[in-house]
Amino acid sequence: MLRRRLLWNIYLPFLLVVVVSIAAITLYTSRSLRSFFYERTTADLVHRTQSLLVALRPLAHTMDAAAVGTFCREHGRSGNIRITVVRPDGTVVGDSHELPERMDNHATRQEVSDALNGRTSHTIRYSPTVKHTQLYVALPIQLDGETLGVLRTAHSLSTIDEAMAFVERRIALGGVLLALGAAGISFGLARRISAPLRRMQVGAARLARGRFDTRLQTTAASEEIGALAESLNTMAAQLHERISTIEKQRNEQEAVLASMVECVLAIDREETIIRLNQASCDLLGLDPSAALGRSLQEVVRNPDLLALAESVLIGSDAVEGEIVLRRDGERHLQVHATSLHDPDGQRLGALLVLNDVTRMRRLESLRRDFVANVSHELRTPITSIKGFVETLQHDPPADPAAFARFLAIISRQADRLQAIIDDLLSLSRLEQNGGSASLLREDTRVADVLQEAVNVCTARTTGELPPVHIQCPPDLCVPANTALLEQAVVNLVDNALKHSGTSAAVQVAAAAEGDRVVITVRDQGRGIAPEHLPRIFERFYRADRARSRSLGGTGLGLAIVKHIAQAHGGEATVTSAVGEGSTFRIVLPARSGPTASA
Amino acid sequence: MHPHLAPAFRRLKKSLFTLSAAIEENLHLAMEAVLKGDVALAGRVRSRDLEIDLMEVDFEEECLQILALYQPVAIDLRFVAAVLKINNDLERIGDLAVNIAEHAKVYAGTDPGEAVQRLPKMAEIAQSMVRRSLDAVVGMDADLARDVLATDDEVDRRHRENVAYVRQLLQETKADVERLLPVIFISKHLERIADHATNIAEDAIYMVDGEIVRHGRHHVARE
Repeated sequence: MLRRRLLWNIYLPFLLVVVVSIAAITLYTSRSLRSFFYERTTADLVHRTQSLLVALRPLAHTMDAAAVGTFCREHGRSGNIRITVVRPDGTVVGDSHELPERMDNHATRQEVSDALNGRTSHTIRYSPTVKHTQLYVALPIQLDGETLGVLRTAHSLSTIDEAMAFVERRIALGGVLLALGAAGISFGLARRISAPLRRMQVGAARLARGRFDTRLQTTAASEEIGALAESLNTMAAQLHERISTIEKQRNEQEAVLASMVECVLAIDREETIIRLNQASCDLLGLDPSAALGRSLQEVVRNPDLLALAESVLIGSDAVEGEIVLRRDGERHLQVHATSLHDPDGQRLGALLVLNDVTRMRRLESLRRDFVANVSHELRTPITSIKGFVETLQHDPPADPAAFARFLAIISRQADRLQAIIDDLLSLSRLEQNGGSASLLREDTRVADVLQEAVNVCTARTTGELPPVHIQCPPDLCVPANTALLEQAVVNLVDNALKHSGTSAAVQVAAAAEGDRVVITVRDQGRGIAPEHLPRIFERFYRADRARSRSLGGTGLGLAIVKHIAQAHGGEATVTSAVGEGSTFRIVLPARSGPTASA
Repeated sequence: MHPHLAPAFRRLKKSLFTLSAAIEENLHLAMEAVLKGDVALAGRVRSRDLEIDLMEVDFEEECLQILALYQPVAIDLRFVAAVLKINNDLERIGDLAVNIAEHAKVYAGTDPGEAVQRLPKMAEIAQSMVRRSLDAVVGMDADLARDVLATDDEVDRRHRENVAYVRQLLQETKADVERLLPVIFISKHLERIADHATNIAEDAIYMVDGEIVRHGRHHVARE
């Protein structure tokens, strides 16, 4: 396509120049040739006529028609010209080719009338007699100053015309050949110019498609095209560099956004989502490709979040708030909304950063509960102690038995306080020791620990006790801090004894399960309702507040069990059914961890 | 189509979602107030409903403005008409949420008991019906709308079961009538909310197909 267009662009001017110049040359040459031939022929004819006039002069006196006629025919035939002799009145005396009687009066002929006036004359005219363009020359026949007639000669110009036509044909043929030659030259030129251009076009098209590794050939035919190719190459290199820089930056940004734990959502001024990261898709349950371009309202059905976004779009630069998102349970989200600006400071939309603070809020509420619980647990015995002390101070009972009873109550409440504080202290110690790293461990025979714990519990409790069965392989050992493990088992057995009646047996067992040792304490008491199970190991959490406290617990026993298990790298679990009893388990790793030797 | 109609529709859809989000949230808070016996939360539900009422007035005006200014035709007109009707349904759902919250005071400060625990799941289904029916309207999705219509049977079944359950409890155990009656009321409210969601879904079908499936005619259409 390019080549053809270029070809025409080159060829047409070429052709125009060739045609115009050939036409001009033809016109000029044929004109000059023709006039040259005519001049030569005329001069020649005039010359021959003059010599004829000399020969005719003897006949001029008489103008005898027969003699003149013979003269004309003789000389006409030998000279291949037509000779006519005319009287001054215009009548023809003799003619070399025609009978004089059949010819009309010649006085009106241009050349004849000129000759009658005494001048030599010639003219070119179409002759009806011979049906051809003729050159006529007329000379006056004069004798002693008197005009006796006119001698006229005529010569056909057909040979000249034929010769001229031949020459013109030759020139035209030459012109056509030249035009063909010009076409060939143009085609070659077009090829020479277009071939490198075409290569460049192909290269530029590849560049346009984004293939920046393309390099154009710079050794092109002409300097200009080579320079152009070099410029294009430079441009391609720079474009490639810039685009790859931009791509790299974008990928980095994407990676940063994608790996953020916080949800990032960008919306434009129409509240259409223009950007969001993987975390927000996970949180809001969205398909990233489907969410883009949809309105925020459609995607997030939360009035508080929408209100935050709107307040930023309306004018505030940054707002903060906390919202509760309900999707697969409650999620507390801290929202930072800031307005987005383009480099010119124009407002583009808003950026929402959502931070999941569900865990933090739960921990906060746990701490709040803990403080409230501790205060409550401590206040009950202190109120009681204070009350009895005040009674003893201000209004001491007369009866020594009552006195002793008061003191016994005070002492019991003080014991209770001490128990709570001891438990809190051991919890705090366990917490401060942190993980299992700093715990001092030794190989402990589990059977001994169980027996000792049961002994402690039964000795502590007065009154009738349910039977306690211990079931444990005698050589089962576990790396543990013996004192702590014993405390944990004591707590569990204590609980089991408290919540069983007097008849139902309590099972205390231990067994190795794979690489773990499981200590099980099973009672057949009232059991625990399912809704309490997840929180039963929390501090001061009581499934049945009134009952538990009347049984003398501190509310910290199970929390301590859990912490001791965790300090050993294990865990404490519970299963229970209301009315059938509960089973508590302490699961400990059977082999000591890497820090056990410390 | 009028050149300004598309942006106006976009704004209208956003308003619709904002409104529905507020209503959904209020419904959820109302259920929470009942389950926790939280009277203060119930009060908040009531005051939020006043805001929702104002939003609804604005929303209706927005619809009328579109009708007056751009004179939409064909599916655009059906969309505005459907949205106007949906607005009514949403308004009723909002009121029902307040009605539910009113029952919170019966359980104030106490554990509402086992019977009430039957309600949250039902509330969740009703709520999802509302949400999906609005999705169907905005997404012009008739299939989703038909799906919502099918879910209504589930809510109706749960309502019947709740009534039977409470009646049995009352007959058998002479349990606390004051604490059991609200369960029936709330169940009824939720059932009404599901009905309104059904209406919205029917409007969605009308909008997309131009076919009116109200008054049970959709049963014929689906067979």
